[in-house]
Amino acid sequence: MVIAQCKKLIKIYSSAQNFRALDEVSLSIKQGEFVSIMGPSGCGKSTLLNILGLLDEPTGGEYLLEGVPTARLNDARRTQLRRNHIGFIFQSFNLMPRLSVLENIALPMRYSDMPRADILPRARELAVRVGLEKKLHSTPLQLSGGQCQRVACARSLANNPSIILADEPTGNLDSKSSADILDLLQDLNKNGMTIIMVTHDPKIAAGTHRTIHMKDGKIL
Amino acid sequence: MRLPDLMATGWAEIWAHKMRSFLSFFAIAIGIATFFYTLSVLSQRYRQLDKSAALAGVGRVDTETNHPLGLTQYKDLSFRLPEGSSLSFTTDNEWLWGGWWGSRLSHKGQLLAGCAIKGIMPTWKDSNFVYKLEGRFINWQDVENKHRVIVLTVYPNEKEKRKLWSDGDDYGEKTVKLTDYTQHHHLLNQQIIVRNETFTVVGLLHIPPIEKDARFKKDQERDSTLYIPYTTWYDLFASDEGKGSTNIRIVTGKESTARTAGKSLSSYLRSQFGPKEKPEIEFFYEKLEERLKDARKSLNNMLFMGIIAMIAGGIGIMNVTMAVIFSRTKEIGIRRALGASRKDILFQFVVEAMLLGLCGAIAGMILGYLAVLHLAEDTSQMTFSWWVVVGSVLIALVTSFLFALYPAWQAAKLKPVEALKNE
Repeated sequence: MVIAQCKKLIKIYSSAQNFRALDEVSLSIKQGEFVSIMGPSGCGKSTLLNILGLLDEPTGGEYLLEGVPTARLNDARRTQLRRNHIGFIFQSFNLMPRLSVLENIALPMRYSDMPRADILPRARELAVRVGLEKKLHSTPLQLSGGQCQRVACARSLANNPSIILADEPTGNLDSKSSADILDLLQDLNKNGMTIIMVTHDPKIAAGTHRTIHMKDGKIL
Repeated sequence: MRLPDLMATGWAEIWAHKMRSFLSFFAIAIGIATFFYTLSVLSQRYRQLDKSAALAGVGRVDTETNHPLGLTQYKDLSFRLPEGSSLSFTTDNEWLWGGWWGSRLSHKGQLLAGCAIKGIMPTWKDSNFVYKLEGRFINWQDVENKHRVIVLTVYPNEKEKRKLWSDGDDYGEKTVKLTDYTQHHHLLNQQIIVRNETFTVVGLLHIPPIEKDARFKKDQERDSTLYIPYTTWYDLFASDEGKGSTNIRIVTGKESTARTAGKSLSSYLRSQFGPKEKPEIEFFYEKLEERLKDARKSLNNMLFMGIIAMIAGGIGIMNVTMAVIFSRTKEIGIRRALGASRKDILFQFVVEAMLLGLCGAIAGMILGYLAVLHLAEDTSQMTFSWWVVVGSVLIALVTSFLFALYPAWQAAKLKPVEALKNE
């Protein structure tokens, strides 16, 4: 089953002299796939990921998420889809510095319809799943980079998404932590999670099912 | 996001930036303090005026004529007034001094001073009667037969006043203030000498403490007064010159009949003393309105200051919210990526600003309370009504809501992808 499908996606940045960041990109991701996207800086990897994550809108073409056309949806509907179907992992973790590990993992659930009483038990369960059961009440400043990225992984799973989008999740980590995160992602994937990951690291990309190479806004 | 989560997030941010938060709610606190003070004083003034009006009777009419009026005229005038009216004639005050030149007053050889003597009728007590009567009051028999009886005022034991009033020395004769004397001597049924005439004290009028005195115009000097029958006073103090003046008071009970009573009074005095007699008639409800107008005017000025402070506070909150949004743009992007809607972001900043407003309201009410305790003229009857507290909190919340709305809307409008790029 195709979970995400791009049809001739175009993204033009009018503020940058009509720079064509995506040039008729077509792509299909099946459920349960672990796909990596590689390419040089400025090739459109992050732009593609932002559109797949409904953080940005394409200038042309269509993007279907679980069969739902998204190009002309209003902000509220896009937010709802993003909240319920997509989990994000960022290169710089993007954790809330003042919140504890538990509260950071719980944050996406705070924006969902989940009953309040279920939120923290679920966050605790996810923390255990990524091996952070002893750090529940620590803040991100008290954690290592690898541990922060584990928190981000747990957070991405909070609302039971159908797809995880990881933007260079190992970019800020040493090789040991990078390997750990890759293991974690592979483990999630083995349990049925669809993952799309942008990376510069061929070794990391080698650990995925399929690698998409991009250049100048196009898939090679 | 649910309200408790929004409040927890807002509170965490306020706590994390204590100094910035303090500065932004300080102006709100000043505004609320002004409102709280003004509203408290205003409500107390209204309560006092209500009490005064109830005590005096709204339909009270006062005038003064330069002629001594007798009992025949009293009956004539009574007949012309609206039904149910109470008429009272009183004389002017005559001051009693202890010295050899004065109207001597003594009890068991002790010269007394610092008091006035006044002639009244039994109807005198139909208006402004705040006293607790011990013994009996002056009755019509006393007035008709010119009895030598006295009802005198006794002040509550006020230590501070007593300190100020020490015993005096009038040209070599030791005198004691009557006010002080009555604190230590129970004069009921005792005999007092006034101008070589022996009077019997038949009643004591215990005056309430000044803070519980609901009269419109309080007896600020707190000198004692001796009340004697109206006719006796003329016998004693006016016979020398054969003239005097009379204060006339009518209590009709209603504002509507007061005007009719005033007209009757005016025409009666003209019929008695000729067309040149133009007494100045004072209607109590007009005085009351004037007093209310004065109160409103001064309090409006205070409210204006409060509004200015609230606007300054609101601008402070707006400024801080804008600065906060600028410094937390990335956070907004992260929250949006994690599923926050525009409404969530809008509410987050509005709730945070309203929490600041609430802190301002609490601080302001404490400041306002202290201001009431230390600045208000009379705090004894000051009660802090729930609506003043609720009103102050509402004003603070509405101000912070209104001023936070624009910056919060700007934050909500941010595109997630652009907000995330911000460092």
